Amino acid sequence: MDIGVIIAGLLTLAVYSFLYRDNPLYRAVESWLIGLTVGYALVTLWQTTLMDMLLTPLLKQGRLILVVPLVLGLLMFSRFTPRHSWLSRIPIAFMIGTGAGAAIPAMLYARTLKQLSSSVMPLTGAGGGLNIEAIVVVVGLLTTLAYFYFSREHKGLMGRAAGLGTYFLMIFFGATFGFTVMSRMSTLIGRVDFLLTDFFRVIG
Amino acid sequence: MNRLTTRWLLFAGLAVVVVVSYLVNVDLTTTVSARIDKAYRYLEELPEGTVIMVSFDHEASSLPEVRPLALVLLRHAFRNDLRIIGLALYAEGTSIGYQILAETAAEYDKVYGRDYVFLGFRPQHIATILGLGESIIKVFPEDYLAHRCDTLPLLSEVMNYEEIDLVVSIADSDRPTQWVEYAGARYNQRIMAGLTAAMITSHDPYVSSGQLYSVIGGLKGAAEYENLYGVKGGGNRGMLAQSNAHLYIVALIILGNIVYFSAGRRKGGR
Repeated sequence: MDIGVIIAGLLTLAVYSFLYRDNPLYRAVESWLIGLTVGYALVTLWQTTLMDMLLTPLLKQGRLILVVPLVLGLLMFSRFTPRHSWLSRIPIAFMIGTGAGAAIPAMLYARTLKQLSSSVMPLTGAGGGLNIEAIVVVVGLLTTLAYFYFSREHKGLMGRAAGLGTYFLMIFFGATFGFTVMSRMSTLIGRVDFLLTDFFRVIG
Repeated sequence: MNRLTTRWLLFAGLAVVVVVSYLVNVDLTTTVSARIDKAYRYLEELPEGTVIMVSFDHEASSLPEVRPLALVLLRHAFRNDLRIIGLALYAEGTSIGYQILAETAAEYDKVYGRDYVFLGFRPQHIATILGLGESIIKVFPEDYLAHRCDTLPLLSEVMNYEEIDLVVSIADSDRPTQWVEYAGARYNQRIMAGLTAAMITSHDPYVSSGQLYSVIGGLKGAAEYENLYGVKGGGNRGMLAQSNAHLYIVALIILGNIVYFSAGRRKGGR
């Protein structure tokens, strides 16, 4: 049997031993997982960012313009000394400025305008009959918005609309919870599949 | 019965349900939903040689769910002689993505550099997604295997999204929405997502609005896609276990409610 399969199988069983009760083996495996994840991310970031995008082009290819991001990056460390910590505002300002500049128009279009326009649908179908889906969307949208409108007391028509909105919200939360359960079950099933097929070799 | 024993019994019950479901050889039929059919048809009708981009935007913990999905999608693409550019926007997805891509490519005798490439990982996903719209080689001067990208035949034909027909984000997070926001909105790039089941509802509005072309969600999505593809894999293998595990949870919910209300009635009657 492949050594990787043996290690993975034993580690999987060690993690599941927590279901019986907390134990040192589980805690050791948990610590290894955290250490490995952080170590892997650190090495990947070191290689793909610092080496590939900064140090190699700067030192080997002589791209001097990269001194600018290098200095900006180093200024972030000024936060460790209270006297010079104000210098870190320069790279932070740069990051916020570029981030907001890139994100605001894109998000405004994709998350707000496009979503809004797709919520506005004809309430009647091609044959003249009612478009039930469109009606449900409109009612759901307006009543859910009513629930989150706090500038007016939820009484009368507003209260009834907000009350109906909670049902739409509950349906959404229920669906999300159901899919999350499905997702967690899939993770368990994936591990059981691995244990029975590759580790114990019970099924072919 | 104390709380620890109850918990122990519930978990043991679930383990028995899942393991027994695996051991019995029952073929569970799954109906193909419109979304999966749409995704399959799209890939099926793409002309030979079309370039698609597959981004592995997930962590290792969701591998049991995304692996069957990624495998069937890549197999379908390679079977139809589509060319694939792979990358990862999560550090953990990098080696997993390369492994899955190389494994499926080997099944179809595909050649690295000509039929597929794996670019690797770049941090700061917004800058990466936007940068790929200008020049892939500028964002990834070297690929995952440290080849210079300008020496790879596939990338000499593909400069940016202009030459890429479809981006598929295989994700366990909201990364597909960022593909929609930056590649979709700005470059009019067609985006599709392969998601863990937990992420389906948060991506539904994007499918309804047409911003996401389609979504393949969870183990069930993988099973449905496998049915269309014609070769059953990890998705179908897990369907009986998943259905039985769900029935077990529903039974527990009903049982819990019966216990709760009968205890309440006893208290109220006193």
